[in-house]
Amino acid sequence: MPVYSLEVAVVLLGLVLLMMEAFVAGKDKRFVAHTALLGLGAVLVGSFFVDRTPDASGFWSFYKADGLAMTYKAIALACTMLVIVLGLDYIPVLEKFTARVGGHGAWGEFFCLPVFICAGMMWMASASDLTSIFVSLELVTIAFYVMVTFMRRNVGSLEAGVKYLILGALSTGFLVYGFTWLFGVTGQTNLDVIAAKLNSGTVATVPAMFSFALILVALAFKIGAVPLQFWIPDVYQGAPTPITAYLSVGSKAAGFIVTTRILQVFLGSEALVHNCTAILLAVACATLLVGNLAAIPQTNFKRLLAYSSISHAGFLVLALAAGPAGAFGLAPGQIVAYYLAAYLIMTLLAFAVLVVINRTSGSDDLNAFNGLHQRSPFLAFALLVAVASLAGVPLTVGFVGKLLVFAAAVKASLWLPLGFAIIGAVAGFYYYLKVLRNMYWNAPAGGTLPAITLSGLTKATLLLLIAATVVLGVWWAPLFQLVRR
Amino acid sequence: MITLNDYLLVSGLLFAIGLAGVVLRRNIIIIFMCLEMMLSAANLSLVAFSRFNTVNGLPDYNGQMLVFFIITVAAAEVAVGLAIIIALFRARRTVHVDDIDAMKH
Amino acid sequence: MSPLDLLIFVPIAAALAMAAGAPARLTALTAAVVNVAVTVWLLVKFQYADGARFQFEATRMILGEPRLGFNVGLDGMALIMVLLTSLVTLAAVMMRPVKAGGEALYYSSSLLIAAGAMGAFVATDLFFFYAFHELALIPTFLMIGMRGTGDNKDAAWKITVYLGLGSLVLLAGLAALVIHAGAAGGGITTFDMAQLRELAPKIPASVQEPIYLTLLLGFGILISLFPFHSWAAPAYASAPAPTAMLHAGVLKKFGLYGLLRVATPMLPAGAHAEWIQHLLLVLLLGNILYIGLVTIAQRELDLLLGNSSVMHMGYVFLGIASGTAIGFSGAVLLMFAHGVSIALLFALCSVVREKTGTLQMSRLGGLAKSAPFLGLVFAMASFASIGLPGFTNFSAELLVFLGGFATKPASGLGAVQIATILALWGVVISAVYMLRAFRRIFKGEPSEATLGATDLAFRGRLPVLLLLAALLVTGFVPNLLMQAVAPFAEALAKAIVIAP
Repeated sequence: MPVYSLEVAVVLLGLVLLMMEAFVAGKDKRFVAHTALLGLGAVLVGSFFVDRTPDASGFWSFYKADGLAMTYKAIALACTMLVIVLGLDYIPVLEKFTARVGGHGAWGEFFCLPVFICAGMMWMASASDLTSIFVSLELVTIAFYVMVTFMRRNVGSLEAGVKYLILGALSTGFLVYGFTWLFGVTGQTNLDVIAAKLNSGTVATVPAMFSFALILVALAFKIGAVPLQFWIPDVYQGAPTPITAYLSVGSKAAGFIVTTRILQVFLGSEALVHNCTAILLAVACATLLVGNLAAIPQTNFKRLLAYSSISHAGFLVLALAAGPAGAFGLAPGQIVAYYLAAYLIMTLLAFAVLVVINRTSGSDDLNAFNGLHQRSPFLAFALLVAVASLAGVPLTVGFVGKLLVFAAAVKASLWLPLGFAIIGAVAGFYYYLKVLRNMYWNAPAGGTLPAITLSGLTKATLLLLIAATVVLGVWWAPLFQLVRR
Repeated sequence: MITLNDYLLVSGLLFAIGLAGVVLRRNIIIIFMCLEMMLSAANLSLVAFSRFNTVNGLPDYNGQMLVFFIITVAAAEVAVGLAIIIALFRARRTVHVDDIDAMKH
Repeated sequence: MSPLDLLIFVPIAAALAMAAGAPARLTALTAAVVNVAVTVWLLVKFQYADGARFQFEATRMILGEPRLGFNVGLDGMALIMVLLTSLVTLAAVMMRPVKAGGEALYYSSSLLIAAGAMGAFVATDLFFFYAFHELALIPTFLMIGMRGTGDNKDAAWKITVYLGLGSLVLLAGLAALVIHAGAAGGGITTFDMAQLRELAPKIPASVQEPIYLTLLLGFGILISLFPFHSWAAPAYASAPAPTAMLHAGVLKKFGLYGLLRVATPMLPAGAHAEWIQHLLLVLLLGNILYIGLVTIAQRELDLLLGNSSVMHMGYVFLGIASGTAIGFSGAVLLMFAHGVSIALLFALCSVVREKTGTLQMSRLGGLAKSAPFLGLVFAMASFASIGLPGFTNFSAELLVFLGGFATKPASGLGAVQIATILALWGVVISAVYMLRAFRRIFKGEPSEATLGATDLAFRGRLPVLLLLAALLVTGFVPNLLMQAVAPFAEALAKAIVIAP
């Protein structure tokens, strides 16, 4: 099987799901989600057995199937599956906010559209031409407009959707205008050819830098870095929680593979590398500061995770800016992939707990976590593992990612940005552990609340993610193999 | 004779006007129109670059292909975007960005 | 499989069993007793003549590039620290919770802190050495916040953020060490300590110095080196007894252990750099003299003990700074002695609070009349803390001072010797505050708070007797410990001299 059959299979799966959703009788559409899980699981397994050798056709100038692409495809598939599991837990909330007056909710599509987003993200992982990058990125972005606004009876969700729409469209404008200039100065659309052209010394540097700046702004929107990070808290707070998780992990990961590939082009050019690195380091430091310092006073857990997502973007940009040497035998792109795989596990673990709290208390405020340790020790422990990993406590998978970034910065002797990273990580210790304070120190609000029951699927998912966080934090080999594929 | 620079100047103006509109205007519909203008600016300069960057005496069709994709995607974006704006209008009876403040508290 | 794995995994398994519903106190005690038994077995089987070499080794590779493995081993210094950890752990889990409820979390926190300390002491891989230490971070945070007294919430935040900062600075230093050692060794990236000891000394001296300084800063924050000490006293004062015992007694030794295990042998040029040595001497005198005076000014027993534990770190630093075999021996011995005596004092402190309801020394007095046993043990613990003969602390401090004098300056008195003379005054200072505390709490007319106090019951006596016995036995027969420490210290002193 050629490698692009993976994307074809996912798109076909999405179409089949839409048809099933529309034409199979019955109000309970959970089977759509279950089918999606099975289908995506099959594709995920299949992605380890496809034939990746390119043939002579012109298709391969738009498409790359290197190890990095395969890693990001796996991240996209795993993330989508976990988001669908989260969505199953979130159905009561969806039911409430999509129902007509006196009618039933309509949430069947909630489990179809992520499949198309997944196809888009998988395509982004492989895109190696300005055209395919643009189209796949827009497939993801436009589908996300719909998903963020999905709870159409909820003002927060609608407003988040409009904010995301305006800024998403703005970033698209910057992206295409940047692409235009990149095409203008090089006359090419394939990234490898552009890279060769930029490095040949025949290209004017000022317009090239102009296009770099425009593209960087657009990508900053996708990955949640300065200067286009300000939409994140509001959109994350308003969007349905599983979609927030999806934005925070899937969309960011897909943004980072494109960023990695485009930066390779610019950082590979001797004429541009100096200026580009300086800009990137400034972006990394600013993102680390903004994300971590603004997270400190937050009292809403969803907004807290939003700022945490910004701060992680700062670490990731730092890894990319640290230069081609990488660290511990991993190239910068591989470090970013490693970090994102770790980030996927721990962030989705945190969001999985948040979804349950959303469902039972109707709130995502930190106070909703008060006394969780007494109501459900298991959930409290799951969130403890998640925040420990997000904060970068060793023996969790999040620490390894952070160590790799630190090592890359040390290797490149970037002492000032390393200082910012340390300040950011220390601030992280404070704001991530705030939720532990609520869960363990504080008593439940309003006396004793009922114990929380979890479905079998949720329990299994939580256990799997906890185990992955701890085991991969000790046994580094599987993720090293994954990103070195 | 109209040169590449003239096209780029017009396209740059379009982009700047669009960006200014996004930043300055408060009506979401107008903002959305300005966003589309930014995409058109990109299209114009892409076409100009293709026309003046000839390959074997013909325009460089790579750039023009990208233009078609941009037009298509922009249409999809408008379809989804207007639907979202209408849904917001139904719920809040406003299309003014300053009124979008449910998350400020 | 090595017996050392038991030391790490028995407490973790016990904590998991408690989470699954096993009876908390019984499980915790069993785990602690098993660890003491394993430690005794190790003490018997240890080849003392070979104390400088890792024994009971086990290697389990995780990655080849970079070279990383879950590797454990035990040399003379690690043996002493393992002994300290298992003794203090047993005493700590014997302490009953003051508040009822949530016992599983209470005991498993103690066991996790213990497992983390054990893991850090027996790991021979730099990553696991670092990582296990951090295992204590969250249990400490939870325990101080949930069961602490006084300003416990502020103290919990302070210790967590400070230790977080310390460990991140340390992480940057260790990453620099690994990367530069790899570059100096021809591109091998390794976390294996034995390999790093070969490679890292080849790093050019100009690079060793900043790395050493970063490590000193990182470890220093964890050890509460002056002026990074302000987290320690309030945290220990407000922590529940087992957490304070384990943290002040065992976990804080991690930083010192790291200086002797990692920084000094791997970066000899950094350790020898004169400006770094002078800086360290100034800071450690800050610990001994400045914090000593601060300690005298304390009015509450818990803060007094917290500050005194900060102060005593200065002596260990002095032993390390001396760079002599005698000084190193004294430092290791003092880590053990101070760990046991401060744990004993914190245990007694919590008993005093429990019996009288206060720790303000002005409201206490004459407690020895109603609680003679408590008074006796407190007096002996105070003597130990001051460093009177008969306790391990005496031989340890003596060795540190001798080590300080044994340095050979080019002419006249060297910096270390001057620092040693000044540090001797610390003994006077600690005599002042410990004896004054004893007099104000236990002597004089009984106050309102102490009148109705009862003495320790038999079950409460066990943990303090255990620790006191350890101090006395090793105090009268210091060779029990010295036979393990001396080969290690001699090898270390030799290694850092030979290196260019």
